[in-house]
Amino acid sequence: MKHKIKILSLFSALVVSSVQAEIVFNGFANIVAGATTSSDETLYGFDDKFDFKNGSLFALQATSELGDGLGVTAQIISRGSNEWSPEFEWAYVSYDATDELRLLVGRQRVPFYMYSDFIDVSYAYPWITPPEGVYSVPFDSFDGLGAIYSTSFGEFDTTVQVLYGANNDDLAALADAPAAFEDLMGLSVTINREWLTLRAGYIQTNMNIYLGDPNENPLYTGWTAFGYPEVASNFVIEDDTGDFIELGFQVDYENVVLIGEYTSLTLDSTPIADADSYYVMAGYRFDNIMVHVTYGVDDDSKDPLTTGIQPDSPQLAGLIAGTNIFTNSLTEEQSYYTMGLRWDFHDSAAIKFEYTSFSDDLDSTNDSGLFRTAIVTVF
Amino acid sequence: MKFIISILLLTSLTLSHSCFADISIVVNIANGRAISDTEISRLFLGKLKKFSGGDSATPVNSKAGNAARADFEKKVLNKSSSQIKAYWSKRVFSGKGKPPTEVENDAAVLAFVAANPGAIGYVDAASVDASVKVVKTF
Repeated sequence: MKHKIKILSLFSALVVSSVQAEIVFNGFANIVAGATTSSDETLYGFDDKFDFKNGSLFALQATSELGDGLGVTAQIISRGSNEWSPEFEWAYVSYDATDELRLLVGRQRVPFYMYSDFIDVSYAYPWITPPEGVYSVPFDSFDGLGAIYSTSFGEFDTTVQVLYGANNDDLAALADAPAAFEDLMGLSVTINREWLTLRAGYIQTNMNIYLGDPNENPLYTGWTAFGYPEVASNFVIEDDTGDFIELGFQVDYENVVLIGEYTSLTLDSTPIADADSYYVMAGYRFDNIMVHVTYGVDDDSKDPLTTGIQPDSPQLAGLIAGTNIFTNSLTEEQSYYTMGLRWDFHDSAAIKFEYTSFSDDLDSTNDSGLFRTAIVTVF
Repeated sequence: MKFIISILLLTSLTLSHSCFADISIVVNIANGRAISDTEISRLFLGKLKKFSGGDSATPVNSKAGNAARADFEKKVLNKSSSQIKAYWSKRVFSGKGKPPTEVENDAAVLAFVAANPGAIGYVDAASVDASVKVVKTF
């Protein structure tokens, strides 16, 4: 309710200001339906019952140019997976300092990936959503300052984006665990020339995530009791650092599209695995139909936490063994193929079909197949 | 059968239309610069904001759905209308830019270009009049 009032008051504020400045509304919507191919399979939030809600969303963006390079933008997204509750995912004041430099202050996207900036605008890319294996950081936005510098060297268009800020939203991906990502900072560089785009990104953040009372975690209490607080501290996420690296390319040459991204996420001193992921995609455009195939791999692992510790007693040996079992259990090796088709049947809308075959190389009982279809539009 | 023939006829009419309409790139009469094909395309994609001499450029679009718009996107930008729409939706929804101003038709493009010294637009070559300067015809 409070939320609704906030939205209403923001809109009325925008509407009032429209006496002076014109407001431009844009929007986009994705209606996604999907089901896994067998009753014991789940993948990316879908199971074998056809679901229209999990991947669907509606978004509305209001922008007003205030003059002298100043602008205000708010983007509100209602997601089926969030009971259609509207959320501000972008809300910023922009200032065009020069033709090359644009500053954004407020809520905006963290430029983790090649498609982060428009991650929900399915109309803007071939898939229904970019490959989930790579696009796996559990938050998209931050509150703070972004600077986008765009310039050209001959026919090379270069965009450099730097950011500094924080995200204090609860983590939906971790059962709404209270979380604080502070001193979130990063840099992304995109170079484009005609049909070739290259991108690299680096993001670093301080992390605090509450995973429950650590005193109820026997590994935490065990290492604390044995006098190894530095090992125990691996089982809480307090003042830890997360590092993220991304490398990507895109080739769009006549009717051929090739896309690839590699990401590496390092979460030292936390009970969460490090992740290395990549995908490669090849697509071909037949007039207004595009077919594409994607292959992706995710490798998760955790370095041992007990290296160099002497098992002086059977109890300590037991704790070391238990800890090693835990870190080994974080190892994952997964791969997937996605075959898809996009049909631009209308100037502002497209229909997409996708089938994903997912393999868990360590536990084949997690293997699954997912069929999805979507109508996506911008308006 | 009759239906199929009329569809075929309609399609061939549409096709011949989009193949044969020449598109003229027009600028203000006072604009004396030579503008390369790459510059034209980069100006309309928002990658370039100034003419090569340093003067600020204001590209103007013909309304979506107009033949001139589709022909321009195909011939000069080498993209389909959907691809251009996807391109701008990336920028609009990520705070990176907005598409050129849109006006109703060829006549409105000519009026806009005639009135704005930095303007650059495109019209069906048959619509060109003396109020603007043609830099190139595709």
